[in-house]
Amino acid sequence: MSLIHRVPLLLVRLARSWLPPDLARWGEAAEAELRTTGPTTQSWLFAVAFVGWALREAAGVAAPSRHRAIGLSEDARAMTRPPLFAPRAFAGLCGLAAVILGLIYMAMSDAPPAYLLINAGAAVFGVLAVAFVALALKRGHLGAGPLSLALGVSLLAVSQWGIAADGVTRWVSIGPLAIQPGLIIAPLAAVLFARSPGPWSLMGIAVVAMALAFQPDRGTAGAVAAGMMALALVRPSGLTRLAAVAAAAGFAVTLVRPDASPAMPFVDQILFTSFQNPAAGVAVLLGAGLLVLPALGTGRDQDTRVVFGAVWVGLIVAAALGNYPTPLVGYGGSAIIGYFLSLIAFPRQDRSLCNVADHDVPRPEGTSGLLLVTTP
Amino acid sequence: MVRSRSLSPQARRLLAALAVTGGWRHGYDLCREAGILSGTLYPLLARLEAQGYLDAEWRPPETPGRPSRHVYRLTVAGRRLAAENPAPQGAAEPSGRLA
Repeated sequence: MSLIHRVPLLLVRLARSWLPPDLARWGEAAEAELRTTGPTTQSWLFAVAFVGWALREAAGVAAPSRHRAIGLSEDARAMTRPPLFAPRAFAGLCGLAAVILGLIYMAMSDAPPAYLLINAGAAVFGVLAVAFVALALKRGHLGAGPLSLALGVSLLAVSQWGIAADGVTRWVSIGPLAIQPGLIIAPLAAVLFARSPGPWSLMGIAVVAMALAFQPDRGTAGAVAAGMMALALVRPSGLTRLAAVAAAAGFAVTLVRPDASPAMPFVDQILFTSFQNPAAGVAVLLGAGLLVLPALGTGRDQDTRVVFGAVWVGLIVAAALGNYPTPLVGYGGSAIIGYFLSLIAFPRQDRSLCNVADHDVPRPEGTSGLLLVTTP
Repeated sequence: MVRSRSLSPQARRLLAALAVTGGWRHGYDLCREAGILSGTLYPLLARLEAQGYLDAEWRPPETPGRPSRHVYRLTVAGRRLAAENPAPQGAAEPSGRLA
């Protein structure tokens, strides 16, 4: 069997393992179908769509709707099982699946092999980085507020002393790699503020917005503004409104400043160009959709999920409208690392299924975790 | 109490594809004929079977060396459901594509 046919089969085989036991034989059936068909574009579509379903089932997103379309008793609908994965793990799997779909797109589009290696390496680094940051936050080695401010100051430094091209200063060079720190820092700062709103994290957001305005980076500034405005809507308070105003002001500055970097192959505009090969285009669209799938869940962390979703939807919209990197599915390690770091938006474990003491509970600056535990 | 809801266009197209011959069908062919993706097909098949509208079973390979395949056929209740819920106009013809 050729490699081109083996990849869809491997994808379906992997996704089968995410299905709950009551759906296992349907996964087996899908794999059997794929094994009997030849290597075609349709087998890729078949596999990619199947992966999407398995992910929805794994997250429990599909479980309630599974009983709806044909009509099922209320008792049966009430027996929906708990999610197979904890929220952060599920969001991480969505990110990994998006990266894999991006690799598939690049492989099908004859991208340089180094691009694939860099994206894969960034995913590994991102997973390790979020584990490290989450642990440091949980153990108190890092404070969300000071971390947010430090991130903002770092981004400000990039806007002043970073690498400039076409009148835009938003990159730093690490060896042979050009990194775009805004894509790493901005999503993380946004979810840090949503997790732990306070004066420090508010200053962090304000400095991030200022740095993005200086660079300028209209795409990322718009995404941060979307996140902060969404937070101000779902959790209105003086702090969240100030953050929304600061982020919106930064975005407004980028709108009046010239920001006309040319499109880079495999980085910008790929939501459209990838459709030169329909299967690659579907992979890109599905990958982009997977990025925001984790934000659709509900629970006590819904506000933070909303910010996560708004920021990543903002970045995808920016990539559709202008020459901004298409996150995770396009070439570029910065967005991949930024995505995985922003997974601290999600609790490590499902809070409806276990003891509160087991969680790395996000808390406002200057308060203890116990305060949230005892407050409804 | 069983709740009745109107079926989605995808479910109607799938029922129509299953009802065309009344015989055993394969998942890959159903995707093509109903114009739905595998991520929609298998949840629908699972629901239909769970509610008694669909028979599903494994069939040994027709050619030695090929894998067994899962096949599907509407039950009497399923045929009734298909008749009561025709496919949307202009959407059920075999298109030869998957999505």
